[in-house]
Amino acid sequence: MSNNMVKKANAFEIMNHWALAISFFILVISGFGFLFHLEQLNSVFGSFSQMRDIHNWAGVVFAVSLFFTIFNYLPLALSISGDDITWIFKGGGYFSKKAAVPPQDRLNTGQKLFYIFILLAGMAISASGFVIWLMPEVKKWIYLSFLAHNIGFDLMVIAIPLHIYLGTLANPGTFRIMVYGTVPIEWAKKRHAKWVQKMGI
Amino acid sequence: MTRKSLIISPELCIGCRGCQTACKGWNQLPATKTVNKGTAENPPDLTPNLYNKIRYVEIPSASNPVRWLFVSQRCMHCDDAGCMKICPAPGALFKTEEGAVAFNKDKCIGCKLCVSGCPFNIPRYDEKDKISKCHLCSDRIAEGLAPACAKTCPTGAIAYGDRDTMIGKAQSAGYQKLYGEADLGGLGILYAFKDAPRVYGMDEHPAIPEAVVFWHKTLKPLAYWGLGGAVAVSLLHYIAFGSKKDEEEVKKDE
Repeated sequence: MSNNMVKKANAFEIMNHWALAISFFILVISGFGFLFHLEQLNSVFGSFSQMRDIHNWAGVVFAVSLFFTIFNYLPLALSISGDDITWIFKGGGYFSKKAAVPPQDRLNTGQKLFYIFILLAGMAISASGFVIWLMPEVKKWIYLSFLAHNIGFDLMVIAIPLHIYLGTLANPGTFRIMVYGTVPIEWAKKRHAKWVQKMGI
Repeated sequence: MTRKSLIISPELCIGCRGCQTACKGWNQLPATKTVNKGTAENPPDLTPNLYNKIRYVEIPSASNPVRWLFVSQRCMHCDDAGCMKICPAPGALFKTEEGAVAFNKDKCIGCKLCVSGCPFNIPRYDEKDKISKCHLCSDRIAEGLAPACAKTCPTGAIAYGDRDTMIGKAQSAGYQKLYGEADLGGLGILYAFKDAPRVYGMDEHPAIPEAVVFWHKTLKPLAYWGLGGAVAVSLLHYIAFGSKKDEEEVKKDE
């Protein structure tokens, strides 16, 4: 690491994030296949039977990865302060060309809220998925799980494109965190002043 | 092709269960060893190897101490079929030209969601976890033959023919309304009941479970509108506001 870079994500967090991302894409693509009978996907998955198995096991990877994110993000995500409230009222500075938001910790308010949302929706969609997979004969559980799984699916396909946009185009310099884990100190001071201050750089 | 259907008249049925046997014969379903439980209802429930079963209902009353009702229970071949709505595997369940809800075990992925989509508790799963149920002898009716059960029925309790013609005939025979005429888009199996449906062990108003309807009408379209909307909103935001700029850059721009 060169001197003007600072480590924002460790190797575990990066791999955890990609396990989550890759399993998510497999789940969403096969999920759309099941919803809309996309037989074209047979060229990728082989058959709907195989797509079902891949969907289920990708779900296991997703659920396990989601569990491990708790150690990376949850305590920080729950530490909401006055600055976070101000951030929310300013819309994160995303709706003004003159961005001025309160100093942020290692995760900004939007990232904290997004994490809590993903954790809750992810838990609902994982738990209901396991019910649909393993307890198909228990009707009242199936109705509840079927709704939870599909509501979770809708929320995810809305939230994740926004997350990808915010992590790439909307905030240049952010995507490298999920590749190298490092950011320039100057960038960190601007975007995560509170975190930099805590580290005492 | 006109829609075909069966009209089942419990009052004509003598409970011989020839239809159960003929069904097994045509569909090559193995016999199962049964147990005498002191009732004509045997086996007690539909199984993967029993597509059609005579339900036996005994209703003794003061005026009629011996009232026996025999009701053929099987897939109702709904026009608006809950099983087909919920099924994630294309081609596993399909409508034939005659209006039968048939299945293809090779396409079935064994998820069992159709069990929850069915208002009549019909689909069963075989030892390979593939769907199994009455398909109105779709292979026979495609060739202009009557289903095995109707063909073998000695009393006319199971009658087969063009749906509209049969409904007309039943009306002229004095049945104002057949069970299943309008439910779920019109059932392929109609019952000529002389009493309330519940007497014969049937739901008064069968319907696809609300969770399945809500999913089909609302959650499903929301999946692609939501995905498309999120991408569109992101692009619009990028056009309107662009990337996030730091304060120095903002000053520079001005």
